[in-house]
Amino acid sequence: MAGRAGHALLVVALVYLLTYWVLFALPGDPVRNRLENPQNPVPPEQAQVIIEYYNLDQSAVEQFFITLGRLFQGDLGYSLGTGRAVGELFAQGIGSTLLLALVAFGIAVLIAALVAVFAVFSRSAAVRAVLTVYPSLALSTPSFLVGLFLLQVFSYQLGWISALDTDGPAGVILPALTLGIAVSPSVTQVLIQGLGEANDQPFVKVLKAKGLSRSRIIGRHLLRNGSIPALTLLALTIADLIAGSVIVESVFNRAGLGLVTEQAVRSQDSPVVLAVVLFVAALYSVVNLIADLIYPLIDPRIVITESRVAQHPARGRRLRVRKGPS
Amino acid sequence: MTIQNHPARRTRRTALWLAVTPLALTLAACSPAGQTASTGPVEKQGGTLTYLDAEASRSTQLQGAGTWQDSAYVENVTDRLIWKDPETGELAPYIAESWEVSEDGLTYEFTIRPGVTYSDGTPLDAASVQRNLQWQAEGDEAKGIQANNQFPAVESVTAEGDTVTVVLEHPYAEFLDVLSGWSASLVADATIEASLEEQQQITGLIGSGPFVVESETYGEEIVFAQREGYDWAPEGVGHEGEAYLDKVVVRAVTDDTVRIGTFRSGQADAIRYIQPSDETQLAEQGAQIISAQGLGATNQWVLKQQIPALQDVRVRQAIQNGIDRERIVEDLYTENWDVAQSIVTQDAFGFKDQSEKLQYDPDHANALLDEAGYTERDAEGYRLKDGQQLHLVTVIDVYDSTARPLYQLVQAQLKELGINLELRDADYSQVSAAYAAEDVAATRSGWPYPAPWATLRTSWDPEGTNGFALPSGDPALEELFEAQATETDAAAREEILGELQDHVIDEAYTVPLIKDSQIFAVQPTVHDFGFSAEARPLFYGAWTEEK
Repeated sequence: MAGRAGHALLVVALVYLLTYWVLFALPGDPVRNRLENPQNPVPPEQAQVIIEYYNLDQSAVEQFFITLGRLFQGDLGYSLGTGRAVGELFAQGIGSTLLLALVAFGIAVLIAALVAVFAVFSRSAAVRAVLTVYPSLALSTPSFLVGLFLLQVFSYQLGWISALDTDGPAGVILPALTLGIAVSPSVTQVLIQGLGEANDQPFVKVLKAKGLSRSRIIGRHLLRNGSIPALTLLALTIADLIAGSVIVESVFNRAGLGLVTEQAVRSQDSPVVLAVVLFVAALYSVVNLIADLIYPLIDPRIVITESRVAQHPARGRRLRVRKGPS
Repeated sequence: MTIQNHPARRTRRTALWLAVTPLALTLAACSPAGQTASTGPVEKQGGTLTYLDAEASRSTQLQGAGTWQDSAYVENVTDRLIWKDPETGELAPYIAESWEVSEDGLTYEFTIRPGVTYSDGTPLDAASVQRNLQWQAEGDEAKGIQANNQFPAVESVTAEGDTVTVVLEHPYAEFLDVLSGWSASLVADATIEASLEEQQQITGLIGSGPFVVESETYGEEIVFAQREGYDWAPEGVGHEGEAYLDKVVVRAVTDDTVRIGTFRSGQADAIRYIQPSDETQLAEQGAQIISAQGLGATNQWVLKQQIPALQDVRVRQAIQNGIDRERIVEDLYTENWDVAQSIVTQDAFGFKDQSEKLQYDPDHANALLDEAGYTERDAEGYRLKDGQQLHLVTVIDVYDSTARPLYQLVQAQLKELGINLELRDADYSQVSAAYAAEDVAATRSGWPYPAPWATLRTSWDPEGTNGFALPSGDPALEELFEAQATETDAAAREEILGELQDHVIDEAYTVPLIKDSQIFAVQPTVHDFGFSAEARPLFYGAWTEEK
C-alpha cells in the first residue's frame, strides 16, 4: 500500500514539474498581455515595476523555487489575471464541480448499465441494434450541443428550470445530464462488450441448466463478471468528468473548477493552471488507487500483488487472476 | 456618443442556432415581446435588473488596463471629478463643482462638492481627491500598481479647504477629459491602501457612486445594490437622488447562444454583445436594440512599416482606397454600425472629416500599385515586384467576434487589387506576442475613450510605443502631437488636430474602418437604459416595470 501511494505521489510531482516547464516555455501570460496591450501599452519603466512585483524578471529556475517554496507552505499563489487567491478560487469552485461530477457520474453509470443490459439481453433484436449504436451516437454529439438542446427545451421552452439558477438542485440536473451523457459512451461500450463476452461463456449454460432465472443470472453473475473492464474505465472517466466540466460549466454558467480552468488556460494564468493540474493529478491517482482496492471486492479471484508493482512501476498495476471455478 | 435605437424590422437572416433546433421554431410564441401600454404614471422606484455580459469580470484595478465590462462596472460604483456629456462631449461639473485653468495651462484648481461620502462612510473631500490624483499620477511602486498612463506629468497636487490644486510640468490639453474617464474614478482610502490583488477584485472597489457592490461570485455573478442616500449625480444625466433600481445583477454568460436564449425567454432584462445577424430577430420579437457608439478613437487598421512593402506610401494609400468600407458595413453589419470618418469619432474634440480621402476607388488604388512598381502578376493574380509577391500578414482581432468575417472581406477586397493578405489566428493568451510578431503588417486598434488624443499619442508616438513601426520616426507627427497637447487655445488646438488627422490619413499610416458599436438588447419593460460618454451602460437612471 505504501509503495502504491509513493508511486502516486511521484506521478503527481512529475506532472507538476512538467506542467510548470511547459507553461514557462509558452509565450505570453496575463501580466505581459496587460502591459503590452496594443490598446493601452504601459511605458517600459512602469512595466518594469509590475514585472518585478510578480517576480517575472527572475530566471525560470528561481521562479520555480519561489513557487515551490510557497506551495510547501500551503500557498497556491494568486491568479495573475484577476488577483484572486488560487486557494479561494478552488474553495469556491470545488463544491460546485464535485457535486456536478458526482451527479453526472451517477447518471453515466445509470445510462451505461441500462443501455448495456438492454443492448445485450433484450429479447428484441431491434432494441439491441438501436442501443448498440448509443455509444457512438453519444460520442459524436458535442456536449455543448446537448447542453444547448436541454436548455432550449427545459428552460427556454417549458420554463421549468432557470438558466441562471446554479444553486438549487434544479440547477444541477441539466448540466449533470449533459456531462453524464458526455462521459457515458466509453463505459457503455466496454460494458456492452464485457456483458456480451460473459454471456457467451460456458458457465452461463451451467447456470441456466441449474434452473436459475434470467434476471438472477444477469444480476448476480454476468454483471459482476462483465463489469470489471468497465470499472477500470470508470476510474479513467474521472478525467473525462473534469475535462467535460470545462465545457458544461461554461454553457450553464456554473462557476466551478471547469470555468476557472477555462478562464485560466485562455489567458495562460499559470498559478491557476498549475493548481488545477496538481488537483487533477492527485484526484486521478487517488481514484485509481481506490479502483485497485475495489476489484477484489467485486471479483474475489483478483488479488493485488504488491511486489510486482515495485518491479514494474511503469505499468502501475498488476492483477493476477487465480484459476478456478467462481 | 451616439445611441441608435431601432424598432422591429423584417428578417434578413435566420440565426443558425434556430435552424439546428426545430423546437425553437415555436419560440416566437414564448418571446417576451409584450405590448407595453403607457397609461398613467408608472412607479419607477424598485426592482432588480438582470444584465448578462459576454465576459466575466477580470480586474477592476483602476490604472491597470481594465476590460470593457470591468470599466462599465467601475463607472456604476464610482464618481469622477468631471462629467462628460454623452450627447455633446461637453465637460460639466460632477464631484468638482467648478474648476479653473491658468492661462499657461499648467495650474488646475478644482472646487470639491461638499457632503459627498464613499460607501464606507469616509468623506470624499479635497484631501481624498488630492490623494486620488497623486496616486493616479504616480502609481504605487511597492504594490506593483502602475501610474495612469493617460495622466500628464504632475509637479504637485495640494489640497486646501475645499480646493484641490494640480500643477502640471507641461500643459496637457486633455487633462480634464482624462479626469472624466473611468480610470480616473475616485475611490476611498481603503481601496488605495489595499493590496493590488484586493484592488483587482470588484468587491475591493469602494466608491461614491449610485451603486455599491453587494457580493461577487467569481465567474458567475456580481450583485450591485442601490447606494442609499446618493445625492450627487451630475446634472447632465437627467435624474437626481438615488438610483431607481434596488439591485442590478450582472452575470457573465460567455456563450452567445445561451445569452440570447436566456434573454429571449425573459429570464434576463438586458444583454450586451449581439452578433449583427441576431439584431434583427431580437428586434422583431419586441426587444429594444440599442447601439451605443462611444466617443474616442475609431476602429482602424494600423499599417506597420517594419514591413518593407508598407514603407512605400503609395502601397499604403492603395490599401486605404482599395477597401470598400461601405460594402463591409452593408454586408456584415446592420444600420447600427457606421464606417469611420477619421481616426476619431465625430463627437471627439477636433474631429475633421476624412471621408473624401477614404473613398473606395479601386482604379486609383491599382494605379498607385502600378506606380509603386508592382506591375507584374503571378499565376494566382497577385502582384509582383522584383519577383516578390505583395504579401501581407495580419492577425485576426481576438477582442471582437465579428472580426473574422470582417477580415475575410478585407482579404477578398485586397485580392481584387492583387494584394495577398494572409490571415493569422491568435488566442487570448498569446495575443500580444502575435500582434508584435515581426512579420505582421497590420493590426486592429482603436476603442472609445474620453481622451482619444492622449490614447493615440501613447500608441503612435515614434519616441514611445511607435505603433506604426516607423523606421526612422516622423518629426512632423511628433510635433503635431506635442503641439495639440500643449495648446491652451481651443480654436488653435482644433486647427492642429485637423492637421494631425490630415497628416496621418495623407501618409496612410492607418486605415479607419468602422466606428466601434456596442449592441445591447433590452426588454421592452426596461426604460431609460443610459450610457456614459464611453458607451458603458449606466444603470443609474434605468427603471423597470417589473418589481
